[in-house]
Amino acid sequence: MAAPLVLVVLAAVTVRAALYRSSLAGFIAERVEVTSPLNAWKRVVEGLALLDLGVSPYSGAIFHETPLIIYLFHFLIEYAELVFMITDVLTAVALYLAIQDFNKVVFKKQKLLIELDKYAPDVAELIQTPMEMHYIPLKVALFYLLNPYTVMSCVAKSTCAINNSVIAFFILATIKGSAFLSAVFLALATYQSLYPLTLFAPALLYLLQRQFIPIKLKSKSFWLYTMQYASLYLCSLVVIICLSFFLLNSWDFIPSVYGFILSVPDLTPNIGLFWYFFAEMFEHFSLFFVCVFQINVFFYTIPLAIKLKEHPMFFMFVQLAIISIFKSYPTVGDVALYMAFLPVWNHLYRFLRNIFILSCVLIFCSFLFPVLWHLWIYAGSANSNFYYAITLTFNIGQILLISDYFYAFLRREYYLTHGLHLTRQDGTEAMLVLK
Amino acid sequence: VCTSRFWFNYRHVANTLSVYRSVKRLGIPDSHIVLMLADDMACNPRNPKPATVFSHKNMELNVYGDDVEVDYRSYEVTVENFLRVLTGRIPPSTPRSKRLLSDDRSNILIYMTGHGGNGFLKFQDSEEITNVELADAFEQMWQKRRYNELLFIIDTCQGASMYERFYSPNIMALASSQVGEDSLSHQPDLGIGVHLMDRYTFYVLEFLEEIHPASQTNMNDLFQVCPKSLCVSTPGHRTDLFQRDPQKVLITDFFGSVRKVEITSETLSLQRDVAGSESKLPEEELATEPLKYAEQLPVAQIIHQKPKQKDWHPPGGFILGLWALIIMVFFKTYGIKHMKHVF
Repeated sequence: MAAPLVLVVLAAVTVRAALYRSSLAGFIAERVEVTSPLNAWKRVVEGLALLDLGVSPYSGAIFHETPLIIYLFHFLIEYAELVFMITDVLTAVALYLAIQDFNKVVFKKQKLLIELDKYAPDVAELIQTPMEMHYIPLKVALFYLLNPYTVMSCVAKSTCAINNSVIAFFILATIKGSAFLSAVFLALATYQSLYPLTLFAPALLYLLQRQFIPIKLKSKSFWLYTMQYASLYLCSLVVIICLSFFLLNSWDFIPSVYGFILSVPDLTPNIGLFWYFFAEMFEHFSLFFVCVFQINVFFYTIPLAIKLKEHPMFFMFVQLAIISIFKSYPTVGDVALYMAFLPVWNHLYRFLRNIFILSCVLIFCSFLFPVLWHLWIYAGSANSNFYYAITLTFNIGQILLISDYFYAFLRREYYLTHGLHLTRQDGTEAMLVLK
Repeated sequence: VCTSRFWFNYRHVANTLSVYRSVKRLGIPDSHIVLMLADDMACNPRNPKPATVFSHKNMELNVYGDDVEVDYRSYEVTVENFLRVLTGRIPPSTPRSKRLLSDDRSNILIYMTGHGGNGFLKFQDSEEITNVELADAFEQMWQKRRYNELLFIIDTCQGASMYERFYSPNIMALASSQVGEDSLSHQPDLGIGVHLMDRYTFYVLEFLEEIHPASQTNMNDLFQVCPKSLCVSTPGHRTDLFQRDPQKVLITDFFGSVRKVEITSETLSLQRDVAGSESKLPEEELATEPLKYAEQLPVAQIIHQKPKQKDWHPPGGFILGLWALIIMVFFKTYGIKHMKHVF
């Protein structure tokens, strides 16, 4: 499987290199859907220039990257394009290896459940076979590398690519079973943008499953392992934050990075839900609504953990999607990361109900974003409501996509244990509904 | 100065442009006029007759035309810019057409129109200028000797409140309505769909149409324009600060550019400029050969330019700590046995 992967990587690198040399690079770098105040390349350059002039880059409201990114780009700024291409390639390779291992785990689990007779007799067509799962890792790498969203995000040199690669490595480490590495990578991801904190739960569930520790609230081994993992994670986070202090000898970066992510002061339009709401809100209520919106991101973790405790990877996927929809400054790079996982759930295709409409909605909205931006800002004949309408539609499309996959996944699990032809008590055919 | 934006305030732009046209017709050139229009009616997408601004019903008179020179347009018409123009406290990069280049012999006419209230005039639907600010601006102008005499005309609701606070000498003021009264608009035009002019300015213009550069009409006639029967509001005026008798002040003193010409039949001889001979450069100091463009920077220097020296470097402790952590993580994951392969 190495050769097709290498081919895909080469194709992706060619596309990106071609775009870097063309005139589209400048245009894409300006688009607000691709770059946000958190991860724009312009701001990285500005921050480093400020540092050369002897001023702390966090002194204004321009630079919101972490000190480790300062360190990384201080030496690599002339090779920025190469860095971003390599980052994308690393992400794709990490996802490839992760999904390869995950497929093995899925297959093993399936075999175990078949032998234990946990499946109903007539579900042979629902069982995944190694033949159909053979190409899934390649498809995942392909989906990530050749996704127009990723390509645009790479050409715009948005540091979202770095965040994606850290999350990809975190997923690889989790699937390989190394709690220490996974805690370290999760700490790095949380350190850069706060939201991967919610990925702690699915990673924990996966590692518990791997260690065969049952998830019962009274079980001592469960709590022991949880404490171990949590302390690994928190310690690495604290170590990284303290290390960043020593870069500039100041704690300035904490309000600039985390304060900025949490309090959302910059209301530049993006593909998220925060900017419009807070642009029209009275000062009096803004604190309350900021809290509500931020809680919304973290809120779904516990219910999903309860429902999906047997399926931590799906939980991870849903959680990634929720982060990229509800975070304060989303960009298409975040969307690209969870879309890379869609081939893993190919077997759910027969249960997806609205996939055609949703893919049409997402594609149309992606095309309408620059059109309505032009109409609003340059032509002056539209206003922010038009752009926000497309933002809303795009996010609704994403939310419906996730809930569709969620429904399909749960439905398949139900069919696996209860058989394909469901009947009610009086013998008529029954239909599964997600309540 | 027209201070209102949006299409339905067409009449304010038409008012201002009509006064502008009359003043140009009577001889004041564009270099002596600062025209501020807060919105573009002629090219507004809602204008059924683009590139025109009409002031009479049935589209008789297009006050826009080809030779309108707008100095402050659209969002540049702000209280700050207006006060800066008046007081002359303008950044050095402002072009001459945007400055009020007046001195102590200049007579200034200020015409303002828009929406106003008791003591204020609204700019652009977002800020206001108060009568106190305006009075202080005029006092600054007086102290800087920026005007000889000033005529202030305002056509807004409760316009008389704007001139109540003036305290500088040589100011005469006219307003279209008293405090507590609204100034009304004249006629709507059904083809364009908005009111084209305000009543007070309409009748002032009818009055001005009869003025020509040689006419001897005086200010008292201007005060009689637009009585209550025609205007519905009561126009007001204020002359107590003015040192001359309004009867003796000609309309063309403010609205036209009429110069007093003295014809002389004597000859005058002008002195040669003595200081000019000392300012010539001595010939010997000029360079023998002017530098050609291509030779100014050797090519070798350009293509081998070193990258910019970076002034900031991460502290050594940080780099050490970071790499120590990375190595620790590496060995923790992969075991100590790999150490011997590294070393």
